[in-house]
Amino acid sequence: MKLAIDSSRCKGCNLCMLVCPYRIFKEGKEQNERGIILPELDRPERCPNCRLQKLYGRTLCGLCQMICPDQAIRWDDEAKNERQKVEVEF
Amino acid sequence: MSFRDWYRADRLPTIYCAGCGNGTVINCALHAVDTLGWRWEDTIFVSGIGCSSRAPGYIRTDSLHTTHGRALAFATGIKLARPELHVVVFTGDGDLAAIGGNHFIHACRRNVDMTVICMNNWIYGMTGGQGSPTTPRGAITTTTPYGSGEGVFDLSALAVAAGANHVARWTSYHVKELTNAIDAGLRTPGFSLIEVLTQCPTAYGRRNKLREVSDTIEYLKTHAILLQRYNRLVAEGKPVPEDMFTVGEFVRRNRPAMGVPP
Ligand SMILES: Cc1ncc(C[n+]2csc(CCOP(=O)(O)OP(=O)(O)O)c2C)c(N)n1
Ligand code: SF4
Ligand code: SF4
Ligand code: SF4
Ligand SMILES: [Mg+2]
Repeated sequence: MKLAIDSSRCKGCNLCMLVCPYRIFKEGKEQNERGIILPELDRPERCPNCRLQKLYGRTLCGLCQMICPDQAIRWDDEAKNERQKVEVEF
Repeated sequence: MSFRDWYRADRLPTIYCAGCGNGTVINCALHAVDTLGWRWEDTIFVSGIGCSSRAPGYIRTDSLHTTHGRALAFATGIKLARPELHVVVFTGDGDLAAIGGNHFIHACRRNVDMTVICMNNWIYGMTGGQGSPTTPRGAITTTTPYGSGEGVFDLSALAVAAGANHVARWTSYHVKELTNAIDAGLRTPGFSLIEVLTQCPTAYGRRNKLREVSDTIEYLKTHAILLQRYNRLVAEGKPVPEDMFTVGEFVRRNRPAMGVPP
């Protein structure tokens, strides 16, 4: 699965940046069409949910999604035949 | 199913300011009801007036958005008419403890079977930042421009003294612990208060040297002391670091309650 920030919901508060143990969320630079600076994702495939959420049948860690006050963080399925990027960090 | 399915997606994003803690608290509450397996049809969210009290409007179950301070009176009505329903109240420090203070203590005394989640941001957020009964001493608000000189209500201690069956305090930073505390509240028959210290960067933080969202989060993280640790320090006669607030479960008991389904 792929970690994604919903650009129609995010308000750019950067709370996700404060909690991710892998420091996947980085301060963004560019404003989107709503004038919001979304965080940037640094190798989001390191999030264990991308690999293991389906296998375990539940969300692991999930701190970013829980603290995000605007319900903007989600994991999307890969498109059909799309390759899954994998990176494991311990 | 996930907690996200409890939201009315068409109402998002919320009207809350960027970095307001209310959205986090709603996530935790919905995660708790979802993992308990409660059904939308049997669950009703009730609130008064305030930024915090807008929460039920973003949730797809039935709800009552009532008048300022009166959420608990309406919630009591639901419980007496339809005890089989699960009743969860969202409220603020102003709504619960200022205008609604009397409803609060008597709902605790009657031990009405409901779970009350209070987003305590130390301020009247919605109306632009007037001081509330939980505004800390010295804090700047629009009604205390030289710093508040008033005493402060400890909402959790108040609920324990007034007779609630379950009382816990956490913060909008401690999402896992908060979710577990809400879960315990939902499972406990009788009145449950979960007080959540929550950042309001706009009306409180801006005036009190907590301008950035991360400033209040850092404060909540570094000033929370687990109740057990606090009690140990006191028992051993050791000094408790200053300006700390206790978090954890203050009480879980089984006094006679009202509105518990037969
Ligand atoms: C009877 C009545 N008095 C006053 C108000 C104005 N009013 C609206 S919200 C509010 C305070 C809300 O504070 P709190 O419950 O802490 O909510 P917050 O916005 O901080 O989440 C007040 C005084 C009102 N709506 N109705
Ligand atoms: S779930 Fe945890 S590890 Fe994954 S992105 Fe969110 S905070 Fe980081
Ligand atoms: S916590 Fe949510 S709203 Fe805030 S910056 Fe991260 S994704 Fe955006
Ligand atoms: S005024 Fe404060 S409580 Fe209200 S939405 Fe803004 S940050 Fe949240
Ligand atoms: Mg308030």
